[in-house]
Amino acid sequence: MNALAHAAAVTGVPHSSYIGLSVLLFAIGLFGVARRRNPLLLLLSVELLLNAANVALIGFSRYWNNSDGQIFALVVMVVAAAEVVIGLGLVVAVFRQRRALDVDEMTELRG
Amino acid sequence: MGEQIAFGLTAAGIVGCALLVVLLKNAFQAAVALIGTLVSVAILFVLQHAPFVAFVQIIVYAGAIVTLFLFVLAYLGERALSDPDRLEHFEVFSWITILVITAMGAIVMFTTALPNFHTVPETTEDIGSPTALGFAFLREHLLPFEATSLVLLVGAVGAVVLAKRAVMAEGGR
Repeated sequence: MNALAHAAAVTGVPHSSYIGLSVLLFAIGLFGVARRRNPLLLLLSVELLLNAANVALIGFSRYWNNSDGQIFALVVMVVAAAEVVIGLGLVVAVFRQRRALDVDEMTELRG
Repeated sequence: MGEQIAFGLTAAGIVGCALLVVLLKNAFQAAVALIGTLVSVAILFVLQHAPFVAFVQIIVYAGAIVTLFLFVLAYLGERALSDPDRLEHFEVFSWITILVITAMGAIVMFTTALPNFHTVPETTEDIGSPTALGFAFLREHLLPFEATSLVLLVGAVGAVVLAKRAVMAEGGR
């Protein structure tokens, strides 16, 4: 290890810090998913989970020194966008029929 | 030193805003707090040599997705803002789940066999520029790229079908 790399090792942030932050963000998002009843806020917590996965993917992209993790993260973002569109469409459709915003009351699939 | 300061600030922003998203009663305020988390994550991506993903994060997440959330919240009105939270009868189970997940993450992190896991990774190549990502998408990952467009098409068609059905249910065309 040359002097420059050693200096970077002293001043930079280790890889495990990023992964630890990802674990923490995932736990917070999971807490939100377990706690919320309002489907809109449930979707917000799911966004936190997806972002935690993205933080880990970008961190490992840097760790392995190639672009694959960033490709994964971009695909995850596309999936998140599609999921939000469909999720919000379902919430609005249920709201117009039931006038209720509580996932505990959505117990039947009758149209 | 600069990366450590930036990491500390963005990590505090991510965790603080995420806690606000999870704990705030008002759905509108929770959606705005999500912007703080998303922008902090974008700054973290810049620190990780991923500037293109950082910009896509801000445009798609903080721009489009949160705007869509705020639009639906405004459309649904007052009723969407009240949030009768759970955690009365099943509080124990959710806490157990969260603690087990966090403990699993910690155990994996401290016992992993990956080399140099606890040191600073050295980036020697161009991994995050639009050029690098474009070549990676079109040379090695063409199938996921096309599958992505299919996912977006299905999402758009599904949204139109849902909206059409809602309009028809109210007597429209």
